[in-house]
Amino acid sequence: MTSLTLSNLEKRFGNVEIIRGVDLTIKDGEFVVFVGPSGCGKSTLLRMIAGLEDITKGSLYIGDRLINDVQAAKRGVAMVFQSYALYPHLNVRDNMGFGLKVRKVPVEERQRRVKEAAAALKLEALLDRYPRELSGGQRQRVAIGRAIVGNPQVFLFDEPLSNLDAELRVHMRSEIASLHKRLGNTMIYVTHDQIEAMTLADKIVVLHDGRIEQIGTPRELYTRPGNLFVAQFIGSPKMNIMPAAAITLKPAGREVGTGAAHSIGMRPEHLSVVAPGEGMLRGKVVISEYTGAASLLHVALDNDETCLVTHDGPAPAADTEVGLEIAIENLHFFDREGNAIDGKAIAEPAPLP
Amino acid sequence: MAVPATDKNSARFLRVPRLALKHREAVEAWLFVSPILTGFLIFFLGPLIAVFFYSMTEWNLLTQQAAFVGMENYADALSRNPDFWHVVRNSLIFAAGLVPLNMALALTLALALSRPFFGVVFFRAVFFAPVVTSAVAWAIVWKFLLQNEAGAVNQILAVVGIDGPNWLREPDWAMAAVIVTRVIKMVGLNMILYIAALQTIPRDYEEAARLEGASNWQIFRMVIWPLLAPTTLIIMVITTIGSFKVFDHIYLMTGGGPENGTLVLAFYIYEQGFKFFNVGYASALAMIMFVVVMVLTIVQLMLRRKDMQ
Repeated sequence: MTSLTLSNLEKRFGNVEIIRGVDLTIKDGEFVVFVGPSGCGKSTLLRMIAGLEDITKGSLYIGDRLINDVQAAKRGVAMVFQSYALYPHLNVRDNMGFGLKVRKVPVEERQRRVKEAAAALKLEALLDRYPRELSGGQRQRVAIGRAIVGNPQVFLFDEPLSNLDAELRVHMRSEIASLHKRLGNTMIYVTHDQIEAMTLADKIVVLHDGRIEQIGTPRELYTRPGNLFVAQFIGSPKMNIMPAAAITLKPAGREVGTGAAHSIGMRPEHLSVVAPGEGMLRGKVVISEYTGAASLLHVALDNDETCLVTHDGPAPAADTEVGLEIAIENLHFFDREGNAIDGKAIAEPAPLP
Repeated sequence: MAVPATDKNSARFLRVPRLALKHREAVEAWLFVSPILTGFLIFFLGPLIAVFFYSMTEWNLLTQQAAFVGMENYADALSRNPDFWHVVRNSLIFAAGLVPLNMALALTLALALSRPFFGVVFFRAVFFAPVVTSAVAWAIVWKFLLQNEAGAVNQILAVVGIDGPNWLREPDWAMAAVIVTRVIKMVGLNMILYIAALQTIPRDYEEAARLEGASNWQIFRMVIWPLLAPTTLIIMVITTIGSFKVFDHIYLMTGGGPENGTLVLAFYIYEQGFKFFNVGYASALAMIMFVVVMVLTIVQLMLRRKDMQ
């Protein structure tokens, strides 16, 4: 059983509170991604699980075992560092076998396990090379190999792809995904890149300011963000947020009120350009950015807000008047505190008297 | 006709300024290095050549008479004068005692003081302070501290029931006493070099090793120590050279005694040159010391290169 239970976990550095009471359950074999902006505490939380940071308060279980005070090496976790942390004076073979060597595993078994891991990661040809002789992607694979060799229950990844170029990042992302499929271990992955989070995770944990904002599958977070922060953090380009008062909702041509909603969110990819005067919103194109697959329009609305729109096909030129339409079911409603409220009650027109 | 003229002009415009720029850069470069170059020529290369020349003369400073004797002084030192080998032996003992002790202590202090904790700056300052203290004052103070019965060291030892030796007057103890006081004086410098090196080693290495189950000792032996190798080599070279050149401590604390027990090469050269005025012989000794130190340095660098490969 390699489930993890974090119960009211807190971390304080002096007077600074980094983690403010985190409750989380991670199931056996799950791929969980901690995502959030810089300084939200996601790496600290991962290091607390690894045993590299003390836990100020709360309890942390791996399986049924309380591991608050268990040494890092005895928790059954392996970690892939952002910097890879490959020992520069050791070749790939010795880097991968380091953990087995310090644990005094016999030489034959050590060699066998290094060989197996190397084969799994296509590293056989590189075993005698030194880290400085490897490319970024190869170093990354060695770092993962070093984690695999120890046969851990839980894999921890601390922004492992952030030092790679864009192309390699996409490639390594798929390698990590297939690794998870093959090994089936519980994996916890920290990133600030929401695309990585969306593509890899079974479950995403959005962190902000030391607290969990929302936990859910990638689809849940995208379609039903729990609050304004998650709504704007997940999805690229980020969700447009408008004051509810500035918008008139006309489902099926009939005007309805916005109820308790204080603000309304619209994803750029859900907005479509229609003739001026039609649609829910009206404005003028300020900038049109061609991105290849589509264009990103910056539309200055009549209510002085700026709205981003992802637009397929030929983009309207700057200064063109346009109307913007969005399906009611794609609207997101938030109350005064920024928490999501059920849009159905609002957007469904009351039956005609 | 106008066309070739233009070509010629443009060619000149292209080439002349480029050459001039190159030339100007070269002049600037030489100007920048000239102060150190001048210093090197006047204070290092000049005297070196002069000493090499003197080493082949029989030159008495008092009578101002010089005669060319070829390699006689070298032959004297290496095969005829028994003092020379005794002095070399003393220098080797001094280096063999000082270098490992200094390095081990410097590394231990650096490991203890490389991470921030309350008061760390104070402790670093305490251990570095002797380095910037006057060597003369240091040696004289220690000479007092190491006196036979009145010395503070022996008085403290007496408190715990140990009858301390007459440190600087007994041949067996004098060398050890000079080495230890010299180590305490100079260890701060190596400590700072080690601290600087330790601070460049990313924390990740240590954390990765700890996660893989390495003990503190294993982390030090298998990760930190190998990564310190370049620094260790530099420290070893400069400390070895420094130990061969030791003069002030010997001059002030023991004067080479007792029974020539601390008569080391640099002090012996001084005695030959400025006490007995055998400038030629002293110069030959200085050349020998120069070669020995250079060879040691080259050997250490070669070992390191081999190790790197």
